[in-house]
Amino acid sequence: MVECDSVVVCHSSLTHALDDSEHPHMAVFVSYGEALALGLASGPACITACGPVLVPSLLAAHAGFKPHVRYLSVFLAARLVGYMIFAVVAWELGLLASMLPAPRVLLMGAAYVLLASVLFWYAYSVRRSCTQPCADSKLIQIGKSRNCGIAGAASLGFLTGLNLCPPFVAAGVRAAQLGSMAAALLFFFFFFLGTSVWFVPFISLGCIVRNQAVMTVARMAMALIALYYLSLGIAMLLGKKTYGY
Amino acid sequence: MATDAHILPLARPAPRGILRSLLLTLPILIWSLLMLFHPGTNTDPKSRIAAALTAIFMTALFFMMMRTRSTYRWRRYFFVSLGILFPIGFIHNLLVMRGFMGIPVEEMIAGRTPFCFMPIPLLILPAAFTRTLVFPGSILGSQHGIAAMVALWLAITLVMGKGWCSYACFFGGIEEGMAAIPPRAKIRKLDTRWRYLPWAVLLAMVLLSLALFEPAYCMWLCPFKAVTEYVAARNALGLVQNAIFVLLFAGLVIMLPLLTKKRTQCSFFCPFGAFQSIFNKTSIFEIKIDPAHCKPCLLCQNACPNLSLSKESIARGETLLSCMKCGACVDVCPRQAIVWHIKGTEIAWKPERARLMFLYAAWAMAVMFGGSIITQGVATILHFLV
Repeated sequence: MVECDSVVVCHSSLTHALDDSEHPHMAVFVSYGEALALGLASGPACITACGPVLVPSLLAAHAGFKPHVRYLSVFLAARLVGYMIFAVVAWELGLLASMLPAPRVLLMGAAYVLLASVLFWYAYSVRRSCTQPCADSKLIQIGKSRNCGIAGAASLGFLTGLNLCPPFVAAGVRAAQLGSMAAALLFFFFFFLGTSVWFVPFISLGCIVRNQAVMTVARMAMALIALYYLSLGIAMLLGKKTYGY
Repeated sequence: MATDAHILPLARPAPRGILRSLLLTLPILIWSLLMLFHPGTNTDPKSRIAAALTAIFMTALFFMMMRTRSTYRWRRYFFVSLGILFPIGFIHNLLVMRGFMGIPVEEMIAGRTPFCFMPIPLLILPAAFTRTLVFPGSILGSQHGIAAMVALWLAITLVMGKGWCSYACFFGGIEEGMAAIPPRAKIRKLDTRWRYLPWAVLLAMVLLSLALFEPAYCMWLCPFKAVTEYVAARNALGLVQNAIFVLLFAGLVIMLPLLTKKRTQCSFFCPFGAFQSIFNKTSIFEIKIDPAHCKPCLLCQNACPNLSLSKESIARGETLLSCMKCGACVDVCPRQAIVWHIKGTEIAWKPERARLMFLYAAWAMAVMFGGSIITQGVATILHFLV
């Protein structure tokens, strides 16, 4: 029988106790169930962290259920890739649980600057129609291709996957306690599944009618949010305090 | 397109009789005395003089609105006074209470940040998600408390919609005053796509406030921090924040109104104004254009300080959603085709009665809310002068 004071310690001890016992499948069940629960519990924090990137870019996409499902799927898949790459690199470097604040801030600063760059590019280019009166209508159709947003969704999803938000760090600490890299990756996958449930309501943004006003507002909002992330990223890279003035 | 020469103005309505105007003004006079004198509590003689001056000022303006049947010009005197006197009274109050204008982080942690209406749209989502107000102020504070301001805002907004921005906002008066200075605009052609920017600022600030768990607009973008309560800069980032406040104030509230004769901060930036536009749908008062009388001379479009009229909207017989109900278009129309209107009635149904109903609500609120602020500003000046 394992005795413990807190829920976290209890889970951890239980997992290790089960690791050593004759019930490894139970340990796996507890670990990945815990990852899923952690993801579900952290979901609101994840959507608030990703909301400034996701909402305007979704509003800039085509209206309707299908385009939004496609956009969100690509965004989330790229986010998962970001999770996994970070987990592999951090595991190899032994930094999954013990990354010092200074390099963590640098990594986040770099991710913010990249995120801002992609947002600026996306705000500038998304569904940009040709205004030249001499342009052929077919050329305008190319500019409005339904696939043009996919690269943006993938880039934004990947970069938000690298964003070291508190739930992600919590998952990293827990994954580091597992026995192998594969187990840690699987832990992250279940954590990702748990958080992804919270993203499903974003599909309802597809019901909003798209007209010039909505498109312009979405693009302007992306540029403003990009400006914020850029200033935050630069401040982090320069080692300046972003809070506590 | 018809030119000015082709517009045959209809005869302007004659001024109302003095006695009738006085009778119509009497309720506002009584309301002013009740609201501004605080019977039994206000014993400071300078404050009493300030209250008396404000009551005379507000009542006289309403009388002129009744007598001349025009709105915009008289409202503007009140609104510009409000915009100028608010920082005077507020800054004086800060200096007396705290000793300095810049708010340090300790004051925020203690929940002593004065609450204005600007962050209201930013508080909604975090409150809905977490039942937490992301503002470092006091909910039930005796002065500048969150609950009192939200209750006041809600009551006024449900009745007046975006009329708040013309009769209650204590920031808009500065730029309206600036816009009134030059005889004509230096920049006449404005890209109307900028009208969408307040909505973008609103969307970005709401999302960032939720992500950062702080009122992002107040922390980074509010131009009026420059003349009210700025961030006490203790490091480079604080300096950057203050530089942003000052640059936005200088550009949007001083320079652009001087060059365009428009309320540029309200038209092109203010997220609260965008949020407030939504409530034009709930208000029963609106401005309508009677197509039977309208010759599209576009005088109304040029007169609108907020770019709330377009050729398309005039053709539809209505203003855009961002209309602040200031009355400029109604007053300038040579054919009286633009009228105050109560939803659910015919356009031509007694527009002067609709105007009176709106003005009683708006001016009662202006006396109660703006009048108190003007009184405080006048009292501050009297304290310095006498």
